[in-house]
Amino acid sequence: MSFFMNSSANQTVNMQNMAMAEQELDMFTDLFNRIVSSCHEKCIPKTYIEGDLNKGEAVCIDRCVAKFLEVNKSVGAKLQQISGAGPNA
Amino acid sequence: MDFTQFNDAERKHLQRMMEQKQMSDFFKMYNTIVDRCFNDCINDFTSKAISSKEASESCVSKCMDKFMKHAERVNQRYAEVGAEMMGGPK
Repeated sequence: MSFFMNSSANQTVNMQNMAMAEQELDMFTDLFNRIVSSCHEKCIPKTYIEGDLNKGEAVCIDRCVAKFLEVNKSVGAKLQQISGAGPNA
Repeated sequence: MDFTQFNDAERKHLQRMMEQKQMSDFFKMYNTIVDRCFNDCINDFTSKAISSKEASESCVSKCMDKFMKHAERVNQRYAEVGAEMMGGPK
Protein backbone atom coordinates (compact mmCIF):
# COMPACT_ATOMS: atom_id res chain seq x y z
CA MET A 1 0.00 0.00 0.00
CA SER A 2 2.83 2.31 0.82
CA PHE A 3 4.56 3.64 -2.28
CA PHE A 4 7.12 5.84 -0.61
CA MET A 5 10.41 3.96 -0.26
CA ASN A 6 13.44 5.35 1.48
CA SER A 7 16.48 4.53 -0.64
CA SER A 8 19.00 4.43 2.21
CA ALA A 9 17.13 2.41 4.78
CA ASN A 10 14.82 0.61 2.36
CA GLN A 11 12.00 0.92 4.85
CA THR A 12 8.47 1.73 3.94
CA VAL A 13 6.89 4.91 5.21
CA ASN A 14 3.33 4.50 6.31
CA MET A 15 1.74 7.65 4.96
CA GLN A 16 -1.37 7.24 7.02
CA ASN A 17 0.65 7.18 10.24
CA MET A 18 2.67 10.17 9.02
CA ALA A 19 -0.49 12.13 8.39
CA MET A 20 -1.75 11.27 11.84
CA ALA A 21 1.54 12.27 13.45
CA GLU A 22 1.46 15.54 11.52
CA GLN A 23 -2.06 16.23 12.65
CA GLU A 24 -1.09 15.55 16.24
CA LEU A 25 1.94 17.81 15.98
CA ASP A 26 -0.14 20.58 14.44
CA MET A 27 -2.67 20.20 17.23
CA PHE A 28 -0.04 20.60 19.95
CA THR A 29 1.55 23.56 18.19
CA ASP A 30 -1.81 25.22 17.76
CA LEU A 31 -2.68 24.58 21.40
CA PHE A 32 0.60 26.13 22.47
CA ASN A 33 0.04 29.19 20.30
CA ARG A 34 -3.45 29.64 21.65
CA ILE A 35 -2.18 29.40 25.23
CA VAL A 36 0.52 31.99 24.54
CA SER A 37 -2.05 34.32 23.05
CA SER A 38 -4.76 33.88 25.68
CA CYS A 39 -2.42 34.08 28.65
CA HIS A 40 -0.62 37.08 27.23
CA GLU A 41 -3.97 38.77 26.88
CA LYS A 42 -4.95 37.94 30.46
CA CYS A 43 -1.64 38.28 32.31
CA ILE A 44 0.42 40.98 30.62
CA PRO A 45 -0.81 44.56 31.07
CA LYS A 46 -0.68 46.76 27.99
CA THR A 47 1.44 49.34 29.73
CA TYR A 48 5.00 48.19 29.29
CA ILE A 49 6.92 49.55 32.25
CA GLU A 50 9.64 46.95 32.10
CA GLY A 51 10.93 44.28 29.71
CA ASP A 52 11.05 41.56 32.35
CA LEU A 53 8.19 39.55 33.72
CA ASN A 54 7.46 40.62 37.26
CA LYS A 55 6.47 38.22 40.00
CA GLY A 56 2.76 38.72 39.57
CA GLU A 57 2.88 38.20 35.82
CA ALA A 58 5.01 35.08 36.18
CA VAL A 59 2.62 33.53 38.69
CA CYS A 60 -0.31 34.52 36.51
CA ILE A 61 1.25 32.78 33.50
CA ASP A 62 1.90 29.58 35.47
CA ARG A 63 -1.67 29.44 36.67
CA CYS A 64 -3.06 30.48 33.30
CA VAL A 65 -1.29 27.62 31.49
CA ALA A 66 -2.48 25.11 34.09
CA LYS A 67 -6.04 26.35 33.87
CA PHE A 68 -6.08 26.48 30.10
CA LEU A 69 -4.93 22.87 29.94
CA GLU A 70 -7.50 21.88 32.52
CA VAL A 71 -10.29 23.44 30.51
CA ASN A 72 -8.86 21.77 27.43
CA LYS A 73 -8.97 18.43 29.21
CA SER A 74 -12.50 18.79 30.52
CA VAL A 75 -13.80 19.84 27.11
CA GLY A 76 -12.07 16.79 25.64
CA ALA A 77 -13.62 14.52 28.25
CA LYS A 78 -17.06 15.98 27.66
CA LEU A 79 -16.82 15.63 23.90
CA GLN A 80 -15.57 12.08 24.24
CA GLN A 81 -18.47 11.31 26.52
CA ILE A 82 -20.96 12.74 24.02
CA SER A 83 -19.45 11.06 20.98
CA GLY A 84 -19.00 7.82 22.92
CA ALA A 85 -22.60 7.82 24.08
CA GLY A 86 -23.89 8.14 20.53
CA PRO A 87 -22.85 4.97 18.69
CA ASN A 88 -22.49 2.73 21.75
CA ALA A 89 -25.69 3.32 23.67
CA MET B 1 5.18 12.65 20.80
CA ASP B 2 6.34 9.06 20.99
CA PHE B 3 8.72 8.36 18.11
CA THR B 4 9.68 4.82 19.10
CA GLN B 5 6.75 3.39 17.16
CA PHE B 6 8.24 4.62 13.86
CA ASN B 7 11.01 3.13 11.74
CA ASP B 8 14.09 5.08 10.61
CA ALA B 9 12.61 6.14 7.29
CA GLU B 10 9.50 7.42 8.99
CA ARG B 11 11.50 9.26 11.62
CA LYS B 12 13.48 10.93 8.85
CA HIS B 13 10.26 11.89 7.15
CA LEU B 14 8.91 13.43 10.36
CA GLN B 15 12.17 15.23 10.99
CA ARG B 16 11.96 16.90 7.59
CA MET B 17 8.36 17.81 8.17
CA MET B 18 9.16 19.38 11.54
CA GLU B 19 12.00 21.42 10.06
CA GLN B 20 9.62 22.84 7.48
CA LYS B 21 7.11 23.65 10.16
CA GLN B 22 9.72 25.40 12.28
CA MET B 23 10.07 28.01 9.58
CA SER B 24 6.37 28.76 9.39
CA ASP B 25 6.11 28.70 13.20
CA PHE B 26 8.82 31.31 13.35
CA PHE B 27 7.02 33.59 10.92
CA LYS B 28 3.79 33.05 12.79
CA MET B 29 5.42 34.18 16.02
CA TYR B 30 7.06 37.12 14.26
CA ASN B 31 3.66 38.29 13.07
CA THR B 32 2.07 37.72 16.46
CA ILE B 33 4.67 39.91 18.16
CA VAL B 34 4.32 42.65 15.57
CA ASP B 35 0.54 42.54 15.94
CA ARG B 36 0.60 42.55 19.70
CA CYS B 37 3.23 45.23 20.17
CA PHE B 38 1.88 47.46 17.43
CA ASN B 39 -1.61 47.36 18.90
CA ASP B 40 -0.42 47.84 22.47
CA CYS B 41 2.15 50.55 21.81
CA ILE B 42 1.32 52.57 18.73
CA ASN B 43 -1.73 54.72 19.19
CA ASP B 44 -0.60 58.13 18.08
CA PHE B 45 -0.79 59.00 14.40
CA THR B 46 0.07 62.68 14.54
CA SER B 47 3.44 61.91 12.98
CA LYS B 48 4.73 59.36 10.49
CA ALA B 49 7.83 58.26 12.33
CA ILE B 50 7.68 56.12 15.43
CA SER B 51 8.60 58.38 18.32
CA SER B 52 11.29 57.43 20.78
CA LYS B 53 8.64 57.09 23.43
CA GLU B 54 6.89 54.46 21.35
CA ALA B 55 10.00 52.72 20.09
CA SER B 56 13.27 51.40 21.34
CA GLU B 57 13.56 53.40 24.53
CA SER B 58 10.21 52.34 25.67
CA CYS B 59 7.15 50.44 24.71
CA VAL B 60 7.93 48.36 21.62
CA SER B 61 11.23 47.00 22.82
CA LYS B 62 9.87 46.20 26.26
CA CYS B 63 6.87 44.59 24.65
CA MET B 64 9.10 42.37 22.50
CA ASP B 65 11.29 41.41 25.46
CA LYS B 66 8.29 40.64 27.55
CA PHE B 67 6.58 38.62 24.86
CA MET B 68 9.64 36.42 24.38
CA LYS B 69 9.93 35.83 28.11
CA HIS B 70 6.23 35.16 28.31
CA ALA B 71 6.34 32.57 25.51
CA GLU B 72 9.39 30.97 27.11
CA ARG B 73 7.63 30.57 30.43
CA VAL B 74 4.49 29.17 28.81
CA ASN B 75 6.72 26.73 26.95
CA GLN B 76 8.32 25.58 30.22
CA ARG B 77 4.98 24.92 31.90
CA TYR B 78 3.61 23.32 28.75
CA ALA B 79 6.60 21.00 28.50
CA GLU B 80 6.26 20.02 32.16
CA VAL B 81 2.65 19.00 31.66
CA GLY B 82 3.60 17.13 28.49
CA ALA B 83 6.33 15.21 30.30
CA GLU B 84 3.94 14.41 33.10
CA MET B 85 1.40 13.05 30.65
CA MET B 86 4.01 10.90 28.89
CA GLY B 87 5.79 9.52 31.92
CA GLY B 88 3.25 9.77 34.72
CA PRO B 89 0.19 7.59 34.72
CA LYS B 90 1.11 5.38 31.75
